[in-house]
Amino acid sequence: MLARVFAFAALSATAVSAQQPAPPAQQPAGESPYRIAGRLPVRIMDFKVEPATIDPGQSVTLSWWTENPTSIAIDPIGRVAPRGQQKLTPSVTTTYTLSVTGASNSSDKRSVTVVVKGTTARATPASVSVAKAIPRTADGHPDFSGVYGYGAAGRGGPPPAPGSLPTTPVLKPGAEKYKVARAADDTGQYSSCMPPGIPQSFFVPYYIQIVQAPKQIVIAHEYLNLHRIIPTDGRAHPPDPDPSWMGNAVGKWEGDTLVIDSIGYNDKTEINGYRHTESLHVVERISRPNVDTLQYEATVEDPNVFASPWVIRRTFPLLPEYDSINEFVCENNRDYRPLFGGK
Amino acid sequence: MKRYLFAIAVAMLLAAPLSAHHSTAMYDMANPATISGTVKRFEWTNPHAFIYLDVKDDKGTSVEWEIELMSLNHLRSYGWVRTTVKPGDQITCTGGRAKSGAPSMIAALLKLPDGRELKS
Repeated sequence: MLARVFAFAALSATAVSAQQPAPPAQQPAGESPYRIAGRLPVRIMDFKVEPATIDPGQSVTLSWWTENPTSIAIDPIGRVAPRGQQKLTPSVTTTYTLSVTGASNSSDKRSVTVVVKGTTARATPASVSVAKAIPRTADGHPDFSGVYGYGAAGRGGPPPAPGSLPTTPVLKPGAEKYKVARAADDTGQYSSCMPPGIPQSFFVPYYIQIVQAPKQIVIAHEYLNLHRIIPTDGRAHPPDPDPSWMGNAVGKWEGDTLVIDSIGYNDKTEINGYRHTESLHVVERISRPNVDTLQYEATVEDPNVFASPWVIRRTFPLLPEYDSINEFVCENNRDYRPLFGGK
Repeated sequence: MKRYLFAIAVAMLLAAPLSAHHSTAMYDMANPATISGTVKRFEWTNPHAFIYLDVKDDKGTSVEWEIELMSLNHLRSYGWVRTTVKPGDQITCTGGRAKSGAPSMIAALLKLPDGRELKS
């Protein structure tokens, strides 16, 4: 199959190289275009409410559209997505204020008012910061349900206690072949759009969503539409599970921490630059130290590869402005096409 | 060949949050280039969106440029929707062009027909 992909790619490359590209205008060297783009100011393209006047009990639709934002909020609703609309039924005349911030200290603000006939405007309450309690499910466990954003490396939460497991892997003697060494023309771990596995599925810059039920918890990753349905009813792993990309996981609660034990992985994924064998064993500990944060820790163990278990930590921010992650299908993956000067 | 080293992508993310999900090693990012043309088609797809741009070279000959953009989740976070760019639009793209010399670019920002600039 791969050969067919490359054959198709070679044809594409021939067709492209037969053309003479138009010379683009060069700009001063040295500055990444992403840095240039990173200075683009935020703006509000549209913010409106329809209808603007209602009778008590009627609804309105509030809609907004922003560009280049880094944060967006509507008072008194809270954080919202860059574009969207919301149906509202205000009981009294209410003013909604959209505030956005962006790069280069740019900001913008716009207000709309819904007049509810026969009522007077509610006084805007003074902004008071109140620490919200961590939500809990009926059985008393913390509820992790929600959409969470990317947790960059280094956002590891509290420093590990003395004597805790290392945070970088050490190969056991004779296991050097498991360290990934890529040739310059290797398209890399993600080029094929195959599942990154666990814990690597948490380390791509895409959102994740947790849906928590009494006896199982679903962790869905936007990147490649991957998910795990993890039982938390006390069951053990099945005997000798088939090797799989996302492994076989069982969960249990240790206080307010969800502990997910997983085995049954295939040997086709990498973890931070190391391959592993089917003996991979991952123990994940997930907690929610505050409403806005998911704390994630994965202990990685493979006796064929590593001298000892080691730990990866990340902190994922809650994204209250989103109800669900998006579909992600790798339908337009061009990374096998040697357009860029390869064979 | 297009490289796809995630470590580099992570480094980019730290420098500019939510910028890319793969390496830009195959593009010349040290010498930003700007190119203008007419949109032939817009592929609103993952893992990357693409614009195909009809660009006139200095002899007036049409050359089709392939403009790579970010994944849809990143574009949505900048305020994009699938109709932000439409066939026939005159747009300007700034980014890194393919080191191979192919008429291809990864664009970091676009200037749309009404003049507004948008991260891409």
